[in-house]
Amino acid sequence: MRGFIEFVVRFKNAITLIVLVVMSLSFMSIGNLSDLGGFRAVIVGSIGWIQSVFAWIPNPVALKAENTALRELNLQLAVEAARSRQAMLENATLRSMLKLPAMTDHRLIAADVIGKTTTQQRNYATINMGRADGVREDMSVINDAGLVGIVIGASEHFAVLQLLINRDTRVSAKVQRTRVDGIVQWEGENILVLKNVPRTLDVRVGDRILTSNYSARYPANIVIGTVRMADDEANTLFRRIVVDPSVNFSTLEQVFVVDAKPNPERLALERRIDERTPGRIAP
Amino acid sequence: MATKSSIRSSEFASNPNIRFVWYGVVALVLSVVHVVFLRFLEVSSVTPDLLLVFTVWVALVEGQFTGMIAGFLCGLLFDVVSTDVIGTNALAKTFAGFIAGYFYREGFAAEQIGSSRFMFIVALAALVHNLIYNFFFLRPMQTSFMMFFLQYGVASTLYTTTAAVFPMLYTNRKKE
Repeated sequence: MRGFIEFVVRFKNAITLIVLVVMSLSFMSIGNLSDLGGFRAVIVGSIGWIQSVFAWIPNPVALKAENTALRELNLQLAVEAARSRQAMLENATLRSMLKLPAMTDHRLIAADVIGKTTTQQRNYATINMGRADGVREDMSVINDAGLVGIVIGASEHFAVLQLLINRDTRVSAKVQRTRVDGIVQWEGENILVLKNVPRTLDVRVGDRILTSNYSARYPANIVIGTVRMADDEANTLFRRIVVDPSVNFSTLEQVFVVDAKPNPERLALERRIDERTPGRIAP
Repeated sequence: MATKSSIRSSEFASNPNIRFVWYGVVALVLSVVHVVFLRFLEVSSVTPDLLLVFTVWVALVEGQFTGMIAGFLCGLLFDVVSTDVIGTNALAKTFAGFIAGYFYREGFAAEQIGSSRFMFIVALAALVHNLIYNFFFLRPMQTSFMMFFLQYGVASTLYTTTAAVFPMLYTNRKKE
């Protein structure tokens, strides 16, 4: 017995360490909050009460972290809101486009605008449909709002459009209400002008301008725009008619290529006449 | 007044019962302070371990045996108030007390605590403490032990060692 006591005294630190380690491991094996029941719940409740008493003291580090987290969340929500708005707009556009086939007898080839310029003298757009999809040069392009332009070049899977807002574009047009004819041209920014309309003819603000039946390149009765201003031009016999394009070119995203080419015989004839009579504006 | 204070001081030094009650009160206060107020000193989720510094203090003043028991009880107390798994801090702090107790030299406690040696002992004890604690903390998770230990264990060791400067300076001034 004495030997045992001497042993314990001699190795008391090591024995204590082993006992405490065993006790700790035993506690760990019993585990969690619920195993210890009400006692620990009371302590946790008391600590929680003390924490709530001092909760009014701001913690700058935690506030900074929370602020950063909220900023990130805000950014994510802003992106989601923008996506949602974009989806709604796309939805509305596509819904109105569904009505398009009724507006024309020709087959329509749906395409997305994948590139465009709208701020230069000669504005073009690139679409994601090409020869493989049936798109050919000289086909006109429309969307739910009206005339967009004409195809001037096509590769296997892409095509380039010359937009209505291009200084080289001229469209034979008519006033829907009075059937008065003229030539629509772009005059920069968002201004189209209906030219060659004599002073005596009836054109009013608000009149709708459509593509003419005389046009060799564009299908008839496609909306071009609405008359914003109709004045008499100084020192001429014609009127100055300013037209707001119906298509919003700055937000152009989806278009339809009208699967109809102008009659080549007619085009060839008109080109021949053009060469013979310089200054004639082809419809 | 000075006489009363010195009588109290000698009573504290000579009467182990008073000392141990006092240690208990300090441990209780420190554990509550740790849980309630140390969030204000939190840096990237790392806080200094005041109870560990206290365990090392007790081990250097009372010896390895008392240091281990103090570590065990402090850890157990902390496990209870912090809703941690009961036994993890107790085990880690028992080892911290065991390590710190190796540096115990009878009658030289103030010299040890009032010098930079105290910080070295705290750093060593904290390192061992964090190794053990993180091992049990990470056991149910898929996280890499080494990565977690380097990120949090070492940071916690450094922060705890930094916090040990205050008792060191206090004891140093008192000694002078």
